[in-house]
Amino acid sequence: MARIGVFVCWCGSNIAGTVDVEKVREEAAKIPGVVSALDYKYMCSDPGQNSLRNIIKEKNLTGIVLAACSPHMHENTFRKAAAKEGLNPYFVEIANIREQVSWVHEDKERATAKAVDLMKMMVEKVKRDRPIEDVRVPLNKKALVIGGGISGIQAALDIANGGVEVLLVEKEPSIGGRMIQLDETFPTLDCSSCIMTPKMVEANQHPNIKLYTYSEVEDISGYIGNFKIKIKKKARSVVEKDCTGCGECWNACPMHKNVKSEFNVNLSERTAIYVPFPQAVPLVPVLDRSVCLHYKKGGKCQKCFDACGPKCIDFSLQDEIIEETVGAIVASTGYDLMDTSMYGEYGYGKYKDVISGLQFERLLSASGPTEGVIKRPSDGKTPQTIVFVQCVGSRDPEKGVPYCSKVCCMYTAKHAKLFAHKVHGSQSYVFYIDIRSTSKGYEEFVRGTMEQDGAIYLRGRVSKIYEDEGKLIVKGADTLSGNQVEIAADMVVLATGVIPKKGSDKLAQMLGISYDKYGFFTESHPKLRPAESSTAGIFLAGMAQGPRDIPESVVSGSAAASKILGLFSKNEYEVEGTIANVNEATCVACFYCQRVCAYNAISKKEIKDRSGKLIKVVANVNPGLCTGCGACVNACFSKSIDVKGFMDDQIYAEIKALAV
Amino acid sequence: MKTVINEQNRRNFAAQVESMLHDKLAKCYQCGKCSAGCPVNFEMDYTPNQIIKMTELGMEDKVLSSKTIWLCVSCNTCSTRCPKGFEVTGIMDVLREIAEKKGIVSKVEKEVQMFHEVFLDNVKSNGRIFELELVGKYKLKTRHLFRDMFLAPKMLEKGKLKMHGEKIAGLNQIAKIFKDFE
Repeated sequence: MARIGVFVCWCGSNIAGTVDVEKVREEAAKIPGVVSALDYKYMCSDPGQNSLRNIIKEKNLTGIVLAACSPHMHENTFRKAAAKEGLNPYFVEIANIREQVSWVHEDKERATAKAVDLMKMMVEKVKRDRPIEDVRVPLNKKALVIGGGISGIQAALDIANGGVEVLLVEKEPSIGGRMIQLDETFPTLDCSSCIMTPKMVEANQHPNIKLYTYSEVEDISGYIGNFKIKIKKKARSVVEKDCTGCGECWNACPMHKNVKSEFNVNLSERTAIYVPFPQAVPLVPVLDRSVCLHYKKGGKCQKCFDACGPKCIDFSLQDEIIEETVGAIVASTGYDLMDTSMYGEYGYGKYKDVISGLQFERLLSASGPTEGVIKRPSDGKTPQTIVFVQCVGSRDPEKGVPYCSKVCCMYTAKHAKLFAHKVHGSQSYVFYIDIRSTSKGYEEFVRGTMEQDGAIYLRGRVSKIYEDEGKLIVKGADTLSGNQVEIAADMVVLATGVIPKKGSDKLAQMLGISYDKYGFFTESHPKLRPAESSTAGIFLAGMAQGPRDIPESVVSGSAAASKILGLFSKNEYEVEGTIANVNEATCVACFYCQRVCAYNAISKKEIKDRSGKLIKVVANVNPGLCTGCGACVNACFSKSIDVKGFMDDQIYAEIKALAV
Repeated sequence: MKTVINEQNRRNFAAQVESMLHDKLAKCYQCGKCSAGCPVNFEMDYTPNQIIKMTELGMEDKVLSSKTIWLCVSCNTCSTRCPKGFEVTGIMDVLREIAEKKGIVSKVEKEVQMFHEVFLDNVKSNGRIFELELVGKYKLKTRHLFRDMFLAPKMLEKGKLKMHGEKIAGLNQIAKIFKDFE
């Protein structure tokens, strides 16, 4: 027989001002099964909690209803208090008569009637509560970081420095990501590779970091604490441990004119066996089999093999699959630049001297194709006038994307500044819509580009670029003076918008994390849980989440790392027990539940008899992944799934209590 | 109207204005506070901030033949309120000066220009303003002999129109100022 205690909280005048709390208490006392009803000024206070505990003891209560504030506020407080008296904490139910009654209603009589109804519903629910145990998941204290750009490297280093083993997986032959492609960084103008390479080297040499470059995550399954991952280590054709990075092989390679360098964004050529850039980490070349003559001409060419001193080139190496188990994952896959060829009016791809911002970075860089001398791609001459066009692809819902790419204002200001520093007497024009320079020192930086370095800023978009007598004629508008303007430029740099890295949507599907319509990974909460993905144990960092600059990427890498170190500071991960539960006897194995589950929490389970013969297949809920959202309950045709604490009979009882 | 920006001309014009102004055109935020507070903005063809931008872009013809530079009453509201401390009133002076030197006569605001000329002549010969002479010469020059005539009795009543002009003591110094400028 149920022995229920009802506690009505006044919350000072918060509730008692609008709800007749004594009436609620009186009504509670009338309900069969309620053996104690009490109202008190502040139930959450120590005396309030103590009276709750005393009554549990005295009356030997089997269930408690608190008519009080939202469960978000104090459900945990009261559950803990009940647990101290030996009651299963899930026998505590809250009727929210503050946020849902007193704060939103004015008429005291009707508010009281609603409060009584809510209280009655919870009494009927608590009568049908079953004890629930929290789920404990063991943790494999090893982390996987996907993407070796600045945010991934930062995350890996922070986790590794916390004493946890890290696997850092990078798709490209070297870590470093986009940042290592940049020349100098705003607003301090420190050289990107000077501050990046030490971090790359540190990541490579760290005893807790295992680096997998030229590798991709092939498969992921499991859940927080127990992710099973498969890493495909693509065949490098070079035995890493023997290679000294001397460069004899790529010097000997006959394919030195035909392959565009990805690192230099097509502004130079590379060989078939190559390192993307001289500071690559690891400094071990990769043989690009799609262009190598050895593979194309049936093994005839082996010039690199002949040139190699330590004989570490092995044409027969195969892709390797590495299997690991990790407890947590950081997804930091970074970004790509938009393809701007849909802007025929700008002529990117048609005119050689119309280039992207990232290409201009390579022209500025000392390790770039022109060794830091600004030369235009068409004839190698140094440009005197450059027009920079901002918001190419960004802030264009018609052809591009509606969002702001965030970094372009700043890097364009930096480009114009560096151009003025490197080519004296030159002139840059910047077409912009708005200048976004919100971080520390950014506004001053942009103003400096205008006031000290003489860049002319024109507020307006460029409509057309065409070639005329060796010049690029840029037709734009200056909306501030209301003039249509035309500038003859030697080179045009498009501040191309950023989009998520190609294939990051596939990775998100593999990881079971959500992403927005552009493909950026979405945070669990945009403000309060910015480092967490929608799936427990998977964290986010860097531009994969959305446009951000270097400092923000570093911060997000560190944030993800600190979340993981916090998670790993315990031996087990505790999950609330209110998760889905399958009735295996009635499950018809349609797996609609699996299709609607947003968390990949449902798998197939085979039930076999003693001799090992398969009896049936049923849905199985992974407690580490289930969040108790209830989507599967609605989808289940045979009514075989319930969420613990929200069983059908409880919900029906609540509805009946309301109907009476 | 399309404006083709010629880099060399743009530089020359901007540099000329900047050196006369002792200020940098790039300083301007283009926030428009000058135009927002200008008491004669409603009559102008370009707002003060547009004049600054167009000067920076080297749109010499448009700027020098604009109404704006002649309509500016040099009240200094703009300069006082400018968040960057830019010499907005000053640029109007500079542009008027350049226009005058180049002999660009503003078609629309010819009379304003004439007034400036008569005013300066008056200062040059008297060291101060002799209102009756100023009014007389201005009217002869513009040939609007009877316009504003009804204001004369009021001005006389308030003692604003004196029958005899006065000359200041240091006329030679005034002459020096004019000579230095010329």
